[in-house]
Amino acid sequence: MSDTAAPLTQDRQKLEMAALSAPGVLFTVAMIAFPVVYTIWLGFQTFSSTGKQSFAGLANYSKLISDVEFWHGLWITIALFVLSLVLQLVFGVWLALVLFHARRLPGIVRSLFISPFMMPPVVAGMMWLVILDPSLGAANYILQSFGLPPSDWLASPTWVIPTVALIDSWQWTPYVALIVLGGLQSLPPSVYEAAQIDGASPLKTFQRITLPLLLPTIVTAAILRSVDLLRFFDIIYITTQGGPGNASNTLNIYGFRVGFEFFNIGYASALMLTLTAVVFGAVLAFNRLRGAVAW
Amino acid sequence: MKARMLATHVALPVLVIAASGQAHAADFDWMKFKGKTITFLANNNPVAQALLTYKADFEKLTGMTLKVDGYQEQQMRQRLVTVMNANSDEVDVFMTLPSREGEQFAAAGWYGDLTAMAKNDVAKDYDPNGLSQALLKAATFNGKLTSMPMNLEGPIFYYRTDIFKKCGLEAPKTIKDVEAAAEKIKACDSTVTPFVSRGLKPAVAYTFSNMLHNIGGTYIAGGKSNLCSAKGKEALDTYSRLLRDFGPPGVVNYSFQQISALYRSGRAAMAFESSNELRTVMEGGARLKDTGLMPFPAGEAGQVPTTIGWGMAVSSHSKQPDAAWYFVQWATSPEVQKKMALQGIAPPRPSVAKDPEYRKWIDEEPVRKEWQAALDVLATKGSSEVGYPIVANPQSREFIGQAVQDLILKQKPIDQACADADKALDALIALN
Amino acid sequence: MIDAANADRWIRWLNTIQLVLAGALIMAPTVWMVLSSFKPSFEVTAYPPTLVFSPTLENYVELTRTTPFLSYALNSLIVTVGSTALGLLFGIPAAFAVSWTRITWPAILTLAARMAPGTLFLLPWYVMFRQIGMIGSYTALILSHAVITLPIVIWVLLPSFDAIPRSVFEAAQVDGCSVSRILWRIAMPLVASGIAVSAILAFVFSWNYFLFALVLSNGDTKTLIAAAFNFIGEGSTQWGALMAAATLIALPPLVLAALVQRWLVSGLTLGAVKG
Repeated sequence: MSDTAAPLTQDRQKLEMAALSAPGVLFTVAMIAFPVVYTIWLGFQTFSSTGKQSFAGLANYSKLISDVEFWHGLWITIALFVLSLVLQLVFGVWLALVLFHARRLPGIVRSLFISPFMMPPVVAGMMWLVILDPSLGAANYILQSFGLPPSDWLASPTWVIPTVALIDSWQWTPYVALIVLGGLQSLPPSVYEAAQIDGASPLKTFQRITLPLLLPTIVTAAILRSVDLLRFFDIIYITTQGGPGNASNTLNIYGFRVGFEFFNIGYASALMLTLTAVVFGAVLAFNRLRGAVAW
Repeated sequence: MKARMLATHVALPVLVIAASGQAHAADFDWMKFKGKTITFLANNNPVAQALLTYKADFEKLTGMTLKVDGYQEQQMRQRLVTVMNANSDEVDVFMTLPSREGEQFAAAGWYGDLTAMAKNDVAKDYDPNGLSQALLKAATFNGKLTSMPMNLEGPIFYYRTDIFKKCGLEAPKTIKDVEAAAEKIKACDSTVTPFVSRGLKPAVAYTFSNMLHNIGGTYIAGGKSNLCSAKGKEALDTYSRLLRDFGPPGVVNYSFQQISALYRSGRAAMAFESSNELRTVMEGGARLKDTGLMPFPAGEAGQVPTTIGWGMAVSSHSKQPDAAWYFVQWATSPEVQKKMALQGIAPPRPSVAKDPEYRKWIDEEPVRKEWQAALDVLATKGSSEVGYPIVANPQSREFIGQAVQDLILKQKPIDQACADADKALDALIALN
Repeated sequence: MIDAANADRWIRWLNTIQLVLAGALIMAPTVWMVLSSFKPSFEVTAYPPTLVFSPTLENYVELTRTTPFLSYALNSLIVTVGSTALGLLFGIPAAFAVSWTRITWPAILTLAARMAPGTLFLLPWYVMFRQIGMIGSYTALILSHAVITLPIVIWVLLPSFDAIPRSVFEAAQVDGCSVSRILWRIAMPLVASGIAVSAILAFVFSWNYFLFALVLSNGDTKTLIAAAFNFIGEGSTQWGALMAAATLIALPPLVLAALVQRWLVSGLTLGAVKG
């Protein structure tokens, strides 16, 4: 390869790469530019009860900072996020390993294993609402059959968030498992062969070899789950509507009510943008991590 | 006080509508807007479902095409809010709940003014007077009539006559009787929940308002939130105590789905829930013969039951309000409402309620008779006040619910609960 | 050697137990849902919960009678297949480019749409699409759903592309292959299982998403998921019909997943390329 040819190929390559990402980027920009700009603009307005709109500068944001509901909502959102993410990552990896070693399982059964997240959230919510009903549901029935005390589940201010985390984890752990399974399958077998020859135990193999190699996939799963977990809405909307009291009032639920039920569009926009910023921060942090664990 | 107010304010519109209606009856033509298309955004509840079974009749009568977009209540509201915020003319007619969003939508200018049309542009047998005056008044804001009532509904008291008999109890006549019955049932039958009603925060106001009015309390006094008044506290205390001490575990999440399911499965002795739930409660037939129904028992101020109803409104952004009005008129006419009544939709017209065919349907089952009797009381004595009579009514319900939940969960003493609620509600009232 | 064989059997036993346990926990609620769809509505919330009952088809009959189920299903199918296809079309090349150049911002940009609450887009999109008269069109629905599928495709494929050794590409470049050729001929076959996973995930997300359809569709293009909501309402909560609708709604993604299983398991692994 002559010196004059190499830079040409490199530039050509850069152009071709840009052409590959361009459609996706342009499409996204075309779709979200107006909504984002519009919402930012709305965040600087106040709306009177008669719909009259006036420029309000940073009023909505200073209201946000002094709003107890907001900080409480932020705390609830983060608590739910951390609890759910940990559960889903840990059990997702476990489930992926179990499924990986059960390769002879028929396809139908395997797809049943990953079925929970295929259920529409509204259905999952209604279903768990019945199962977890303290008087009518199977959950307490089963607990009591084993002599255990019944729980208020979703109706308990203390336990509503852990319960919601459990419901969400039931639904989305298989999703994480599916992603990690994809990662497991693309691991070079040569590494395992080497480990076996060395006589390493399965646990050691997992710890020292599999897990580090899986980290990029796990972080990807974490990113994909994080954007949804931080915007937690559906299950809570169907089951508790943010209650009892405000015990499950995540930021997304709060913002939704402010906008659609209390008609305070300006403040709702400020809330939604703040939530978006929080999610963005989380994604950036995880992306850093992704770079750090790359092979 | 509120009930009396309803009576006096009603007289005026009645006279006005009556006077001009007859003058124009002769030149009314159903086919005037032939060929036009009307878009109807419906809440997919039994009321709309019953109405839409006769969709073809409307299209034949008027030569218009009816496009229906039906969604579950909260989804419908979301869609409506989006469409109206965009000032779009996509929707011509929509269903609305004046007791909840009437002031809010009126302030936002979303309702078309029906006052003139209800007077001048009506068919001979429309009989606008025949509609419940209370509901018409509840749909009038700043002198403008914003929607025509489609049905009549409100929370009523369901109770197990067999359990009452077993525990030696008579049907309750006062709120104190209800409390006494709950205590006795708790002692007499441990497998059943004595009392169940709404505990879910945004849903509480619906049933709580009824109790507050029966006791004689008001939400607002002298321009300020009145929950910490003696009567306000009594209502808060009674309602939350009934649910806390005699209600099912997890009642703070309870709305109509769980209440109906609990009562229907035989696990509740008394249920205070919407009249709409009759059909759901009677499913499977288990409760058909052992249920009694009545408006919520009286308090110191007697019985002031909560009476609300869905209404049909014309969008202020509609490009064809006159044609849209024809649909509204047809849908709320005596003939159509009678047909809907035979499907179990309580009519907002006393005349229909007395119609022999309807009465025959009612007389088929004792529960239906009691249901209609309860609704008759709601029609005559009812108040539409659910939550605060301000623009921010939906938001006010949150604070009412919060106060009740604080008490059910024993998170605050009553003085603090009502004070916190009053503080937040004063801020809302000030925005009005 | 005996130890190894014993250990092997132990491990397999342990795995089977874990599999059964996981399966039971995961599938129990779904099984409950399917069983409930064959119970009359009032029995779904009966207590104690009944495992033995006489099954009935009345929920399915009621469902198909009262809602234009098939037409909704078709709408959902058109929108979902369209948005998945669009997501794959734009996403696969983008993921490849991001992986190779290690320039991540395009991937983060596409994810931006998933960082904001869905409700943020409702009003602006309604206004946008109304201006060009596209409310109720399949196009509007497909475009809005593609905003969801695109980031999923990209982010699920990224680790798969990342796992391909650079040497493979360098070899191809020396041979004078253009970038798109490398993608099409070499990279894509290697990440076939990743593509299968991303396709399933994109399909499921789009299939179950109701928020955008709420404002962008009309009576003719309403999607299936809207039908599920119709069974929860005051005076008309029909548990049986809801469970029946849920079972039917969950079927297409499940069938798709079962069909694509082949590629999930047997995708060409890198082992074949280690040469």
